[in-house]
Amino acid sequence: MGERAIIVQKFGIQQTHRWWAWLLVLLVGAVVVVGTHYDAALYRDPIMRVTAVTQQKATKETDDFQNVDYQTGQTLHGVILNGRYRGNRLTVSNTYSASGAMDQRYRVGSQLFVVAHQHHGKFSATVKDRKRDTPLVFMIWLVVGLLLLILRFSGLMAFLSVAANGVLFFLAILLNGATQGAQVLWIFGSLSIGFAALTLWLVLGRTRQMLITLATTLGGTLLSIVVALTVFHLTHERGMFYESMQYVTQLPRPLFLAETLLGSLGAVMDESTDIISSLYALKRERPELTPRQIFKSGRQIGSTIMGPLINVLFFIFVADTFPMALLYLKNGNSWGYTFSMNMSMGVVQSLISGIGIVLAVPLASYLASRWLPKEVRA
Amino acid sequence: MSTITLLGLILLVLMVLVGGKAGAQSFLALILNFGLLFLAIVLVAFHFSPLIVTLVVGVMVLALTIFMSSGDDLSSTVAFIASAMVLVLLVLLIVPVEHWAMVQGFGPEDSEDLEGLSVLVGINFVQVTIATAILSTLGAIAEAAMAIAAGLSEILEQHPQVALKALYGDGIAVGKQIIGTTFNTLFFGFFGGFLALFIWFTGVHYSFGEILNDKIFVAEILMILFSMLSVLLTVPVTTWVMTRAVAGKRKRGAHEATK
Repeated sequence: MGERAIIVQKFGIQQTHRWWAWLLVLLVGAVVVVGTHYDAALYRDPIMRVTAVTQQKATKETDDFQNVDYQTGQTLHGVILNGRYRGNRLTVSNTYSASGAMDQRYRVGSQLFVVAHQHHGKFSATVKDRKRDTPLVFMIWLVVGLLLLILRFSGLMAFLSVAANGVLFFLAILLNGATQGAQVLWIFGSLSIGFAALTLWLVLGRTRQMLITLATTLGGTLLSIVVALTVFHLTHERGMFYESMQYVTQLPRPLFLAETLLGSLGAVMDESTDIISSLYALKRERPELTPRQIFKSGRQIGSTIMGPLINVLFFIFVADTFPMALLYLKNGNSWGYTFSMNMSMGVVQSLISGIGIVLAVPLASYLASRWLPKEVRA
Repeated sequence: MSTITLLGLILLVLMVLVGGKAGAQSFLALILNFGLLFLAIVLVAFHFSPLIVTLVVGVMVLALTIFMSSGDDLSSTVAFIASAMVLVLLVLLIVPVEHWAMVQGFGPEDSEDLEGLSVLVGINFVQVTIATAILSTLGAIAEAAMAIAAGLSEILEQHPQVALKALYGDGIAVGKQIIGTTFNTLFFGFFGGFLALFIWFTGVHYSFGEILNDKIFVAEILMILFSMLSVLLTVPVTTWVMTRAVAGKRKRGAHEATK
């Protein structure tokens, strides 16, 4: 921790030069946003910039469920920005609906990926999708920039820990692909240990506090999975619809468990860190506390944060199903069927994570009451 | 008994055992939040404006989550006002960014799930995607605002006369403690949910450029970034609201004293 304090102080000195930091962040932002706007040359697929649009008249469409929508055709004239066909002018057609669930309206200036066809020496193309890297990079810049400006060194650490976990996550997915998904639960199970150890090491350093937090995190997550498997066994997974999971390319059940495991890991880690660091602070102020009192305080702290944390995961898991659930309702399905086919798996995930989050409270309090050093140095 | 019922019962029992009355209240808040979320979807299906429905439901969710968990009056009120302000700021950002990125609705990866469904349902899916992005951040906003307000109110309890300027620094310090772990909650929460999608990308050998511009991928990453940004904004906003509240209180206190 000593080393860290020095670095923090160093960053403190820079406070006087704050406007420099703001200017630098703004400049970097302008460079990346403008840069990605003109980065077509980096892509292999041909990109077309729309230079002129002719609109046709909208036609009214009514489906079997009396949903009314309007479809409009448009002819797009544009120029290819990159690759073999660079500079070629071409004309493509596009149809979009007012709701725009699967299609979209293009305007002058839009950059689109196109699939080029060479037919009898004539050059034509169809639109594939829009180029989206500029808004993506803009948002990444906004978050990272604000993170560094508001929280400085801690912001940098938070960013590094997310980036490091992202790299680990990517490697794990490659490994999963290499094994055809047969080992998904083992890969992501053992990876959770790596994730947790790495993150806590970055936040807390190699301390006893880190070990207690790590033990709680892994214990809580493992317990929740054990409870889940027991419940699955007892209820024969009634009301769980694996077929409703999206984008599944391998055996759904282990994949579902791996998703749940990862999802709850972060929240359990968040909670254990909070409880145990508060207990450390408490012990520092009042060294005379007995293990029993520490356990009680831990439970007290934990019970106030567990509810909001379960909520965080619930909204992440379930809000995502909004568009599909809406489509189900508009296609004449009942509320119950819509729930089963879209939200039931997310709710099961939230409940399992919730169980892990709640179980981590007594676990953290117990481990802290046993393993907290007699004297905590400031 | 269905799996959801049994898991729900176990969660209820555990929450009551660990948290007592507060635990039961948190469980109830969770169920009500689910009800509100479902209500939002049904209202949008009845052609109410997605944006207005989301704003109303969003404020209700924040109020429920914050006032139903145990906290003192000052910190709950401050957390609620601050989180509502962050919600408004976020809407002001999400609306233009979603119109810019155009990641609404469904992508080619969804076509199997969409089989047999009509997608021309006459509801603006850009607005639906905006609603989804806002809803998915609600939990994170509430949690961060509560953590910072609680931390500040503890500092105020120990040093009731702390200068307002120092209090602002304290808020940033509390924020530093929570931001690292909160980011991890969001990162793992979202990546847990997208695991299948990422496996799909590597399995079908999308190129890096294709992933970076893919509708679904960009939509999901934007959602993570909005959540992280909302947590980040919560730090200064909550601290600012707390200093205003304390300043107002002191002014009133000084008024009473001179009377």
